[in-house]
Amino acid sequence: MTDMAMTSHAASAASAERAAVLQKLRGGDTVFYWMTRIAAVSVLGLLGAIMISLIIGAWPALTEYGLRFLTTARWAPNAMPDPVLGGLSPLVGTLITSFVALLIAVPVGLGIAIFLTELCPPRLMRPISVAIEMLAGIPSIIYGMWGFFVLGPFLADRGLGGNLSLFNASLILAIMVLPFITAISRDVFATVPPVLKEAAYGVGCTTWEVVRNVVLPYTRVGLIGGVMLALGRALGETMAVTFVVGNSFRLPTSLFSPGTTISAAIASEFAESADLHQSALILLGLLLFVLTFCVLAAARLMLARLAKKAGA
Amino acid sequence: MNLAASTATAHTGHTMAERIAIRDLKFYYGDALALKGINLPLYDRKVTAFIGPSGCGKSTLLRVLNRMYDLYPGQRAEGEVLLDGENILAPGVDLNLLRSRVGMVFQKPTPFPMTIYDNIAFGVKLYEKLSKAEMDVRVEESLTKAALWKEVKDKLNASGLSLSGGQQQRLCIARTVAIKPEVILFDEPCSALDPISTAKIEELIDELKSDYTIAIVTHNMQQAARVSEHTAFMYLGELIEFNETDRIFTTPKDQRTQDYITGRFG
Repeated sequence: MTDMAMTSHAASAASAERAAVLQKLRGGDTVFYWMTRIAAVSVLGLLGAIMISLIIGAWPALTEYGLRFLTTARWAPNAMPDPVLGGLSPLVGTLITSFVALLIAVPVGLGIAIFLTELCPPRLMRPISVAIEMLAGIPSIIYGMWGFFVLGPFLADRGLGGNLSLFNASLILAIMVLPFITAISRDVFATVPPVLKEAAYGVGCTTWEVVRNVVLPYTRVGLIGGVMLALGRALGETMAVTFVVGNSFRLPTSLFSPGTTISAAIASEFAESADLHQSALILLGLLLFVLTFCVLAAARLMLARLAKKAGA
Repeated sequence: MNLAASTATAHTGHTMAERIAIRDLKFYYGDALALKGINLPLYDRKVTAFIGPSGCGKSTLLRVLNRMYDLYPGQRAEGEVLLDGENILAPGVDLNLLRSRVGMVFQKPTPFPMTIYDNIAFGVKLYEKLSKAEMDVRVEESLTKAALWKEVKDKLNASGLSLSGGQQQRLCIARTVAIKPEVILFDEPCSALDPISTAKIEELIDELKSDYTIAIVTHNMQQAARVSEHTAFMYLGELIEFNETDRIFTTPKDQRTQDYITGRFG
């Protein structure tokens, strides 16, 4: 700009004006940068704050029971002389219900997504997609009521446990995470370049062979991400599970016996708890937090491994 | 120099056998007519080039020959395409089998997300039960044919995606050759490649034609002149002119052909 200023007076005036405008714009840019940066950093702040308040709330129970909390199945907040509080049964219940839910929902969800992207006649595509989206939009309390009044008696009549059981909760969870798995896998399947699929069809593959050897390997990162998101939702789902799981603090003897999960335990007891009892419930919350974190970390690790294997 | 060689074969080739005969082929994208009645022979063990401006239907024509269009609802073809006398447009044709007889190499290299070895073995396994030793032989054979063996023989277990663009394209050719097709379709196989890789692919096509019937779509007229014996010039969904390549490029009969090859449009 200084070069230009030397060439002529008029040019220097014009360039000074331009510089002023640019300066103004740059000011806006700085404000924009800081606004977005603060927004981004505040997520970290929030996460930290939640973590810290959970630890503070859980501290009394944590110092009282320590690691024993993870191995004790008995939950007796009113026991005399001292309450006995162990988190084993909700922990086991959470893991079982989430795992079984995924076991059911992943194959079904993938099946729907594959059908929608590879096989579905165009006329059927919209109705199925809309149905999936509506399934995602149903509030969880409705699922809970349906599980309690319809699915529970249905299962009980067929000898698959009582009205209230871990199995009932797993089924409800499976239905609830199904739309997530379907929607995410459908979206990642759509990212497979058509020409890659054509190439596979071009060597004479059937649809199944194309899906198995090209579509699934190509999209595995996105698929695992989707499943982990679904798992996160299943681990934390509260309302529907509280309705149907039975809220029994006994260590479950089978899939068909009643049990409880971490979030169901907190939801059903928090209102009438105090002191150590309340602290133990918060400790359960912390446990769920850590569990979810571990799931995400495991997913990252798995992806890194897969990437290494594929890129070698 | 290649041109001279192909001229010689073209002039002596009056008794060439038709491998594929396209008869009054019409093609529709939904309601839009994209090919308006094409009649064209593809000769056995010869290279036929399809040239023409973008949107003229040359790629569409290629995709009819292995019925790739079948993947997309709303696209349909009318007329006849006879492969060894059998109409491949007829209902009830086994598409998987057809595509194993008519291989295709695409514009962009499309290695599958697996190792180099598996990229080749994958297609073969669909049709043949080979022992590990036989498969090793087939993989080496195919990669040798595609002029890639020397470059990858020490890293057959590396991912196909780790190769350079030109190598990936030769891998795709090797993959196509491995399933022993009769016809190979090239859809602008060099448009994403650098000149050296392009030269290698052209050389390869020249060698492959001793075993296969080849059709190639290209935007590059020098390429058409270098690799093909016959050239079809297409424009707006019609076949304007089909002849021996050197005739097309030296004495085109149609004004539009002349305009196109001299760069006046397209």
